[in-house]
Amino acid sequence: MLSFGLTILLDGVSYGMVLFIISVGLTITMGLMRLVNLSHGSFAMIGGYVAGYITQAGGNFYLALLIAMIIPAILGGLAEVTVFRPLYRKGELAQVLLTIGIVFVATASITEIFGAFPYPVVFPDYLTKPIDIGFRTYPAYRLFLIGVGGVVAIALWYLIENSLYGAKLRAAVDNPRMARTVGMNVNVLFTGTFMVGSALAGLGGAMGAGILSLEPSYALKYVVLFLVVVIVGGEGSFKGSFVAAMALGIIDTIGKYFFSQAAPYLLYVTVFVLLLWRPQGLMPAKSVA
Amino acid sequence: MKWVLGAVAAAVLSLSGGMASAAEVFKVGLIADFTGAFATWGTQFQQAIDAYQAVHGKTVKGPDGKEIEIQFVYRDVTSAGPDKAKQLAEELILREKVKMLAGFDLSPHAMSVADISQQAKIPVVIMNAATASITRGSPYYVRVSMTIPQQVVPLAQWAIKNNIKKVYMLTSDYAPGHDAENYFKKEFTKLGGEIVGNARSPITETNFAVYMEKVLQAKPDALYMFQPAGSPSIALVKAYSERGLKAAGIKLLGTGETQQIMMGGYSDDVIGTVTAFHYTENNKNPANIQLIAQLKKMFGEKAGTDIASVAAWDGTDLIHRAVAKLGPNAEGLKYVDFMKNEKLDNSPRGPMAIDPVERDVIQNMYIRRVEKQDGKYVNVDIDTVPMVKDPWKIDNPPKSN
Repeated sequence: MLSFGLTILLDGVSYGMVLFIISVGLTITMGLMRLVNLSHGSFAMIGGYVAGYITQAGGNFYLALLIAMIIPAILGGLAEVTVFRPLYRKGELAQVLLTIGIVFVATASITEIFGAFPYPVVFPDYLTKPIDIGFRTYPAYRLFLIGVGGVVAIALWYLIENSLYGAKLRAAVDNPRMARTVGMNVNVLFTGTFMVGSALAGLGGAMGAGILSLEPSYALKYVVLFLVVVIVGGEGSFKGSFVAAMALGIIDTIGKYFFSQAAPYLLYVTVFVLLLWRPQGLMPAKSVA
Repeated sequence: MKWVLGAVAAAVLSLSGGMASAAEVFKVGLIADFTGAFATWGTQFQQAIDAYQAVHGKTVKGPDGKEIEIQFVYRDVTSAGPDKAKQLAEELILREKVKMLAGFDLSPHAMSVADISQQAKIPVVIMNAATASITRGSPYYVRVSMTIPQQVVPLAQWAIKNNIKKVYMLTSDYAPGHDAENYFKKEFTKLGGEIVGNARSPITETNFAVYMEKVLQAKPDALYMFQPAGSPSIALVKAYSERGLKAAGIKLLGTGETQQIMMGGYSDDVIGTVTAFHYTENNKNPANIQLIAQLKKMFGEKAGTDIASVAAWDGTDLIHRAVAKLGPNAEGLKYVDFMKNEKLDNSPRGPMAIDPVERDVIQNMYIRRVEKQDGKYVNVDIDTVPMVKDPWKIDNPPKSN
C-alpha cells in the first residue's frame, strides 16, 4: 500500500516537474508583461524538436539539452522584440489572436521541416532502464525529471529571491508603473525574461518528450495544460506555478489510476473548484514572487 | 463591325468543335486531413494516388474507345470535423462537379456524407474510416480499407491458440477503440479466455505510467492494446517496457500500432509484439513492390507505405476499372454495382474482394510479430487468416425489407 502510494507520488511529481519547467516561463511573462501568450508551448515544442534532431543524429544528450534551451531563447528574444512588444498595450483580444496565429505558424513550419509523424528524442541508455529504489524498480527517466526539475526550481528561487535581477523582476511584476518611474530599463528586463522563459520551455519540451510526445500539434494540444498551471498558480507567481504543477500532476495521476476514463473530469472539476475558491490563483504574485 | 463579330463567332465555334474531341475528364473529389494532427492520412493518400497514376497512367479507355482522364480534386478537412467534411463534399459536387467522392480518413467524416451521396447519387470510395456500420449508411458507400472487428477477431483467436488465457485490455476512448474492446472481449471470452481487467485511455494520451501499474497488478498473460498509431502507441510500448511488464513476461498484442511507417519512433522494447493486420509492409506481392519503388522514386528514400497508401492505391484501381467499364457518365449505382463485384487480385496487400451485399472489404488478416532485421524493426508474418469478412456485419445482418 505504501509502495503503491509512493509510486503514484513519484509519477505525479515527475509529470508535474515537466509542466513546471515549461510553464514557469509563461507565468512570469504573463505576470510581468501582462501578455496573454498562447504560443508558449511552441517554444517547448521547438526545444523538443531541436533535442530530437541532435540526439537522433548521435549527438551528446546534454549538449542537445543545452542547444534546446539556446535556440528557443534566441527565437523568443527575437519574437519579443519584433512581434510581442507592440502587443503589450493592445489588449487581450489582439494578444490572443496573434499568439494563436503563431501557434499555427509554428505547427505548419514543424510539419514542413520534420514531417507530421511523431518525433522521438533519443535518451541515453541509462535513463531508459528501470533502477532499484528499494521497494520496487522505477524508471530512471522519471527520477531524472524530478532531479532536474528540483534543481531548476531551486536555481530559479535563488535567482528570484536573492539577485538584483530577481528583485527588479518582482518589482516590475508587483507595480510596473513604479518600476518604470524608478528608472528600470523595463524593455531589457522584458526581453531578458522572455528569453529565460523560452529557454526553460525548450528544456522542458526536450526533457519531457517521454511524457508529452513531440509532434507538430504539440503546442496546440498542451496549451490548456500550461495555462491551467499558470492560472491556478497565480499569474506572475513562481511559487504558485510550482505548487499548481505538482498538484496538477498528482491529481491527474490519481485520477488515471482510480477513474481511468473520468480522469480528465477529475482534473478539470478540481481546477474549476480551485478557481472558484481562489480566482487570483493559489499563490498570487502580490504576496511573494 | 457585324462582319468582324461574325468572323470571330465562326472561329470560336470551329475551335470548340475541335476541343470536344479532347479527353473527357472524370473528376473524383478526395476529402481527407492534410494538416493538423491527422495530416499523414491525406499526404499518404495523395502520394499513393500519384504513384498509381504514374504507373498506370492518368487515363483509361472507356467502353466506346474514347480516352477518359481520371482527375483527383483534393480538399483538406484541416482537422475541423465532420461538418467541414460535409461542406467540402457539397462544394466538390456542386462547383467542381465531381462524379465520385473518395478518401475519408476518419469515420465521422465518412458518415457525414451519407445523405449527400444519396441525394446527388454519388459513389463514395472509403479509403480508411474503419467503423463497421458505415457502409450501411448509404447504398453508395464502397470501402476498400478495413474494419476494426475484422482485425480484432483473428487476433483473439490467435491468442487462445497460443496459450494466452488472461488478457488485460487497454484501449483508446473513441469509437474504433470501443469497437476493438467489444469485439476482442466477445471473441476471447467465447473461446474460453478471461479478461482480467480493462481501461480506456483518452485518445491523445501519452502518459501511460499509471495504466501500466494497474496492468501489472492484474497479472495477465498478455496486454491487448488499441491505440492510434503514432505517439500514443509509441508511448504505450515505452511504458510497457519501462514499468517492467515486458520483463514480467506479459506479452503485448495489438493491431495497427506497429505499422512500418511508425517504426522509427520505437526502441527494442517493441520486439516480440504480436499484431493482427491486413497489410504487412514488406510482403513480396508485385503490386506492393511496384508501389514502394514508385513512392521512393517520386517522393524520396524516406517515403513509405502504410494502410492509407494501400487503400488509396486499391481505391484508385477500383475507380479506374469502373470508369473504363462504364464510361464517365454512368449512374452512381451502376458504378457501385460494378465495384462491389470486383475481385482485386493485384492489391499490394494480397488477395482482397468487395462484399457484393455489404460493399465492404473482404481480405486476408496477417498475424505478425515484430523482429529486428538489419538494425530495423519489421513485422514478420507468422500466420494468415484468409478472406475475413467483417464480423460486425455477420453479427448484425441487414434488416430485410
